[in-house]
Parts: sequence; structure tokens; C-alpha cells
Amino acid sequence: MLAIVVLAVPFAAGIASAVLPWRREIGWLCTATIGVVLVCGIGLAARVVHGPPITAFGGALRVDALSAFMVIVIGAIGLLATWQSVRYLSLEIAAGRSSRRHASLYSALVQGFVTAMLLAVLAGNVGVMWVAVEATTIITTFLVGYRQTRGSLEASWKYIAICSVGIAMAFLGTVLVYLAALHVGHHLHANLDWTSLMAVSHHLDPGVMRLAFALLVLGYGTKVGLAPMHSWLPDAHSQAPAPVSALMSGVLLTVAFYALLRFKAIADGALGVAFPRALLVAAGLLSLVVAASLLLTQRDYKRMLAYHSVEHMGLLALGAAAGTPLAIAAVLLHILGHGLAKGVLFLTSGEILHAEGTTEIAQIKALLARRPALGGIFGFGLVALLGLPPFSLFVSELNMVRAETQVGLGWAAAISLGCMAVIFGAVMSHGRHMLFGSGPDGERVHKTPGIVTVPLIGGLVGCAALGVVAWPLDSLLRAAAQVVAL
Amino acid sequence: MNGIGGVIAAVLVAGAQIAAVAVGGPLLVGVMRKVRCHIEGRVGPPIHQPLRDLRKLFSKQCMRPDQASWVFGVGPVVLVATAVLIAAISPLATTHPPLGQTADFFAIVFVLLLGSVALALAALDTGTPFGGMGSSRAMTIGALAEPALLVAILAMSIPAHTSNLPALVRIGLAHPQLIASPERFLALGSFLVVILAESGRLPVDNPSTHLELTMIHEAMVLEYAGPDLGLVILGESMRLALLLGLLVNLLAPWGIADRAGAAALVIGLGALVGKVVVAGIVIATFEVFTAKLRLFRLPELLAGAFVLAVVGAFTALVVR
Amino acid sequence: MSGSAYASSLELASGVVLVCAVVTLWRRSLSAIVKALAVQGVALGVVALILGVGKHDGVLIAVACLVIAAKGVVIPVLLGRVVAGDPASREAAPIVNVPASLVGAGALTFLAYGATGSVVALIPTTAGRLIPLGFATMLIGYFAMAVRRKAVSQIVGLLLVDNGIALVAFLATAGVPLLVELGASLDVLLAVVVLRVLAAQMWSKFGVLDLDEMRELHD
Repeated sequence: MLAIVVLAVPFAAGIASAVLPWRREIGWLCTATIGVVLVCGIGLAARVVHGPPITAFGGALRVDALSAFMVIVIGAIGLLATWQSVRYLSLEIAAGRSSRRHASLYSALVQGFVTAMLLAVLAGNVGVMWVAVEATTIITTFLVGYRQTRGSLEASWKYIAICSVGIAMAFLGTVLVYLAALHVGHHLHANLDWTSLMAVSHHLDPGVMRLAFALLVLGYGTKVGLAPMHSWLPDAHSQAPAPVSALMSGVLLTVAFYALLRFKAIADGALGVAFPRALLVAAGLLSLVVAASLLLTQRDYKRMLAYHSVEHMGLLALGAAAGTPLAIAAVLLHILGHGLAKGVLFLTSGEILHAEGTTEIAQIKALLARRPALGGIFGFGLVALLGLPPFSLFVSELNMVRAETQVGLGWAAAISLGCMAVIFGAVMSHGRHMLFGSGPDGERVHKTPGIVTVPLIGGLVGCAALGVVAWPLDSLLRAAAQVVAL
Repeated sequence: MNGIGGVIAAVLVAGAQIAAVAVGGPLLVGVMRKVRCHIEGRVGPPIHQPLRDLRKLFSKQCMRPDQASWVFGVGPVVLVATAVLIAAISPLATTHPPLGQTADFFAIVFVLLLGSVALALAALDTGTPFGGMGSSRAMTIGALAEPALLVAILAMSIPAHTSNLPALVRIGLAHPQLIASPERFLALGSFLVVILAESGRLPVDNPSTHLELTMIHEAMVLEYAGPDLGLVILGESMRLALLLGLLVNLLAPWGIADRAGAAALVIGLGALVGKVVVAGIVIATFEVFTAKLRLFRLPELLAGAFVLAVVGAFTALVVR
Repeated sequence: MSGSAYASSLELASGVVLVCAVVTLWRRSLSAIVKALAVQGVALGVVALILGVGKHDGVLIAVACLVIAAKGVVIPVLLGRVVAGDPASREAAPIVNVPASLVGAGALTFLAYGATGSVVALIPTTAGRLIPLGFATMLIGYFAMAVRRKAVSQIVGLLLVDNGIALVAFLATAGVPLLVELGASLDVLLAVVVLRVLAAQMWSKFGVLDLDEMRELHD
């Protein structure tokens, strides 16, 4: 029942905002909708953490601990993003860059986007999961091109071209898994339910599963942003409106990663640990190296944040490659922490863009002096993302390294630490350039309205709280990790 | 086949095929020309005009350039001789050509190539720039078309487990599903493109062009006159008729004689003539609506034919 | 339908799918490429039709008709409108020239046969032996997307990838569960519609449909 509410509420809000011309009240309504999703997610998590998974519609929807955790992630970051969307849309309409018609389209698309992501994590059937991820691709293409400038058009073209190919490959991988399942035990009728695939996973033909898993890593990996399929990420995430970037970078990447995790569990059963581990390690290390090398010379802070996402996705891939319960729990915590911190950073950068009018690092100086609230939040957000205590990313990265060393991937962990050190230096120098220094004399200190800063600070505080005190999520993380761990 | 009776029968069958090709070749060219003219709204010369041109040429005095050597005179003879040889041994009217029991398809291709090379050498022999230009262009096209042709033959040979040409036609007649298969269609498609390239039809080369710089085949024979030119024209039309005859017998072998007997042979000849005329009409119609390709676009066309043949060969190799 | 007629018509239709993929790399004129794509869509539907008739599966036959309508008619018409609107409707020199890309297509066909050995081994029927053709089409589509400059050519590459995957899906499993197959077709249709919209916007903002013109975003 709760599961159906979780899906129905944003869907209805989407229809409502498509039909009605946009007003601030509609924007707040949409925010409240996502708040309801978050609350329902917490409710679902409370029920499944100690009980059996909930199913609805005869198994089409299935909520286990992992799905419930992802609903919480989507709800939390979605709340931040939709809160900021209200202000973003009002500013755009006031500046004449957008119309009410256009804004209601935006609002409807964002609600549809969230609904599709929720469907992807709640689906019990990997085919429905695929359809939902494909739907997110199509919806976000329009959102990326919302501003209708030349840059955003180029970004949305690249996005849909590359991600459609990736999604098609993921479809082929899914078909091959279905084929392997069909041929288990004398052509018994098989379906694409994840539970039944897990049940037969030890009997699936290894040759077919190898090909299928490779295609799935390539396909869903394109949506996750793993190198070498990452080239759409910097363009799309930098050209989209800030709330959409926050949603895409914080949540959509990890929803695609969730799909990979589900398939990895099946592949582990069919192929043993070695082959999936090797693929994920290769993809993860490549992403880290690519992100490290390209972050050194970044000139645009939104693209910098986007490449930073590539790095974190590489870390997630390495953690998933380790595969132990500790590793997966750390991966899930990292998903939440990264989502919060990246979301806050993108939203702040949207505010900075609106205030300063440029996205180039070289042209922004002394942010702490001129706009203390924004500068402070941006600075702390960077600190959070770089994995410094007390933020939760420190804890999750530490645990991932520990788990990787335990299973013999210590060398990969060492390389990842090296890349992270390079990225630390690069981001610190960019951040220092933007934040410190003294502004031109006589320029007054701008105050940012509380309605903007409060939720952003709240997000950062949440991230820090998770790093210090784990208890609200401890049992949920453990239960979720048990679902897909080795 | 035994003794003198067998030898006479073999000679008769071979002679019938050679005569059909030798007389039918120029007639085919005449038919194609007539079709073009009709589509273009003209009346055009009668169908047997090429035969009359040949008679006129053979009655003229033999003129050769002073600086040419014996190669110049031998070239056209080799061209016609290779065409006659292939006409004798190919399964054109009958699936058991008496002289062609060991007629391997690859060998036939190389004999045809011998004719082309002889003509190209003879053109070089004159020492004129147009001769050299025509030879180099013709050899370039040959170098690109030969691999496609060889792989296409491979694609046709693999399912039949033999590259003996009469055997290929016999097996095609007995098992129609071998013909209605993707690899056969791919191979024959590639073969058709190679035929257009080797016999100098559009879109590769315009057979009726007068502009020297666009000539490929015409440039090679610019210096020929009298009986030599007659031999060249005869050889070229025989090659076209032969290649089209092989194509139609691999594509639609029905009507060909597969048992001994004069009646069957006559029916086989008639079927051959009919099918080749239909193929010629189709090609002539296609030519009306096509423009000549630029010289450096020819590699694209022939590379496409090559890849189609490769795909066909691979399909034959693996899918079976 | 008799066994050998079933087998050879299935082979023929699958072969047409692969040949159309090669033709899109071969021809330069965008309208010819779109026509080849239409033929490929119809051939794909014919494959599904033959499989459905062979298994007496009404649902599969219905899906086959849907495929012929969507991939053989609707999508090529949409693309044709984009091509008609662009005055420079020939592919400018692609990044890899035509003979080299054709040889690449041949190499990709070899690769497809090599990579799908285990899948073919699992399904010993006629349909199973033809799965590498679908894989080869998918790889050729991937290759076409990488080496073409015109926007329409990239859409064509995406459609080739999808047609190849659909061919594999039909041959391997005689249709994935209906819901997913319908979802997949619908999503492709939507993707093409989106790309059409973007192409129209590109036309109005940039004046050309050449992706080389869009190079503002880079590091």
C-alpha cells in the first residue's frame, strides 16, 4: 500500500503541474509531494528492515531493504532539489528567460522523472526496471535542454545519443539473462522477476552470462557515468538547470548503479566472484584516472562538479567489486552521502551562477567575503565531497578501502587513494581561488535569503550527522547490504 | 560417351556453345543498345547492327602503329581465345559440358583475367598516353574487383562443397533452397557489381563515351583499327555474354539441359538466350537511370561488393 | 510451414537485416540510407512474423505487425522529413572513409560471430544460428554512430543498434515477455521523436544539421 502511494503521489503531482499554469503554490505542492515520498520511504524501511519484503501488484512492485533505502535517497535529495526549483523557476520567469507554460512543463517533467526513478527502484521485474531507466533518459533529455541555448542543445543531443545506445546494450544484456534463464532445466517457463532469477542463478549458462554481464556493465555503466562511456556527463550536468543537475548527479547516477548491483548479484551466482569483480575494478579504476586527469585543468565549476561525480561513481564501482557486506554497506552509505553533498553543491552553484552570471572559475573571486552564506556552504560542500571528516563520505570511503583490502583488492584501493589525492589537490586549488581573497573595496556584502540557505545547510548537516552517528541507518544499511552482497 | 561418337558429340556441343556466344554476344550488345534508345525515345540502330559493324571491320585493311611490337597484335587474339575457351567449357546450355568436366570456377576467373591483362599490355605497347591511362585505370578496377569476385565464388562454393562450375549449376538445379539462401544472393549481388566493372558498363564506365579523359576501356582500344578492332569488339561482347550467362545459370538454372540429347540441348540454348536477353534488358534499363561514378568513388562501390561477398562467405561458413 | 521453407525464409529475412546495415555504411545519400532503414524494419517484422507463424503464437504476430508499422513506416517517414528539410542531404566526408568503414563492418561481423559462440551453442535451432547476424547489426550501428558527422546519420546508427538487438531478442527467445518488448519499442519511438525535436531545434539555432558545428562544450 505504501509502495503504491510512493509512486502515485508524484505521478499525480506531475499531471497536476502539467495541466495548471505554474505558480509558486504549485511549486510548493510539488516539494511537499517529495516530502511525502521521503516519509513513506522511511515508513517502508521501518517495515522491511526486520520483516519480509513487501510486494504489490502480484510481484510487479517489490520493496526490500535495498529498495527502501534507495527510496529514502531519492526522497531526500528530491526534497532539496524541488525546494530550490521554486526559487529557480521564479527567478527565471522574473528575468524573462522562461514563461509560466514552460515552467509548468518543467515541473511536470521533474515529477515524472522522480516517478520513473521510484519505479526503477521499486520494480520487482528487471524488465520493468529497464523500462523505467529508459523513461528517465527521455524525460531528462528535455530537462537538460530546458534553457534552449546552443550549449544545452548540444549537451542534450550528446546525452540522448550516448545514453540511448547504452540503454539499448543494457536491454540486450537483460534479454541474454532471460535467455539463460529459459534454458535452465528443460525450458521451464521463466520470467524476468529478480527473485526467480536469483533462485536459478547458479544454473545459468556461464558463457551467456559473461556476455550478458559485460553488456550490462557497458550499458548501465553508460548511465552511471563510468569511463569510457562518461563523455555525456560533463556536458549534460553542466548545461542543465541547477536543480535538475542536483537530481541527475545525486540520484539518477546511483539509480543506474542500483540496477548494476541487482545484476551483479545474479552474475555472482552464475559466474563466481572473479569475472564481475574484474569488470567493475577495470571500470572503476578507469573512471578514477580519467576524472583525476581532467579535473586538473577544469575552468568551469559546474563541469568540475560533474567530473567529480565520475570519480565517485568509480569509487562506488570499486566498492561493489569488493562485494562483501561491509563493502556494500559502505557503498550504500556513500550513495546517500554523495547524493546529499553533490545535490547541495549543485544547488549552490546554481545560486552562484544566478548571482555572478558566469560559470568560469577564473572569474569568481572572494566568494566568502562577498556572499558569506553561499561561499560557506560551497566551501563546506567541497570539504564534504573530498571525504574529510566529520562528513559521512569519510566513513564510507574508509570502509570501502578496508573492505577492498580484505578481499585482495588492496592494489586497486591504493591506486584509488592516489587518484583521490590528485583530485583533492585540484579541487582545493579551484575552491581556494573561488572562495578566498578580498573583494573590490566598497562592495557590500550580499545576504542570501534564508529560504535558500536553510535547506542547503540542512543537507550538509544531515551529511555530517550521518558521518558521526550511524544509528538511524545502521540496521537498514546492514539489511540492504545483505540483499546483494556475497 | 565412348569413342568417336563421344568425341563428335563433345565437339558439337562445344561448338554450339561457342557459336551461341560468338553470335549472341554482339546481338546482346545490339539488344541493350536498342532498349536504351527506346527508353530515351529514339528508334536506334537495328539489333544486328553490331554484327554488320564486325563484318565491315573484318573486311578492312589491317593497320598497326609502327612503334608497336607483336604484343599489339596478340592482345586481341588472346582476348577472343580466352572467351572461346570459357564458352567451350562452361555450363551454359548443358550441365554436362563435355570439355568442361574439370572446369573450376576459380580457373575460369583467372582465364578471364588473362584476357584483360593481355588487352591492357597491348594498350601499353602503343606508347601513347591514352593507352597507358586506360590500362592503369582498367587494372585498378580489376585489382579491386577480383578479390570481390573470388570471395563471392567462395561463398557459393562452400554450401555446395565444390567449386567445379558445372557441379555448382547441377547442385543448384537439384536443390533450389541453396539458391534461395542469403549467401547465394549476397554472392550473386557481388558478382553482378563485378560484371558491371569488368565489362565496362555504367556506373563504372560509359561504353559510348567520346571524351578521352573519362574513358577507361575505350582509351585502351583507341589505337586499334580494322580486323584488330573487330577482334577486340567481338571479344568484349563475348565476355559480357559469358559472364551474364554464368550469372543467370547460377541464379535461375531452370531450362538448362541436364541430360544428353539434341532436343534437350536446343531447349537449353533457347533458355540460355532468353535468360541472358532478360538480364541484358534489365542492365540496359538500369544504365539509362544511372550516372557514371567518379573515378575515385569506384573503390567505394567495389569495397561494398567485397564486403557483401565477405558477409556471404562468412554466413555460408558459420551459419551452416 | 514446412521445415526447410521456414528455415530458409528466416535466414533470408535475417540476412536482409544485416545487408541493410552494411548499405547504410555504403551509401552517401541520406535519403538512400533512410530507405535502407525502412527495408530493414520491414525485414525485422517479417522475421518476427515467421517465428510467430511457426510457433502459432498470435501475440508474436501482433508484435510483428506493430514492428513493421513502427520501424518500417513511421520512423523512416519521420526521418525523411528531417532529411527533406536539410538542403545538404548528403553525408559529408565521414570521419572514416567509406571503403575503410566497409572493411570495418566486415571485421565487426567476424567479431560478432566470435563473441556469441556461447549463445549459439545454447540454442541449436535455425533461429539460434542466426543470432550473430543481429549482433553484427548492433555493432555496425555502434560504429556508424561513432564515425558519422550528420545528425540524421547518428539517429540511423542508434536505430541500427536497436534493430540488431530486437533481432537477437526475437531469434533467441521468440520475444521477451510482451510488456518489455512493447516498452522497448515505445521507448525507441519516443527516442526518435525526441531526436527529431532536437534536430528541428538544432536546425533553427545552428542552421545546419552537422554535428561538427556543435563543438562549444569541451575541455
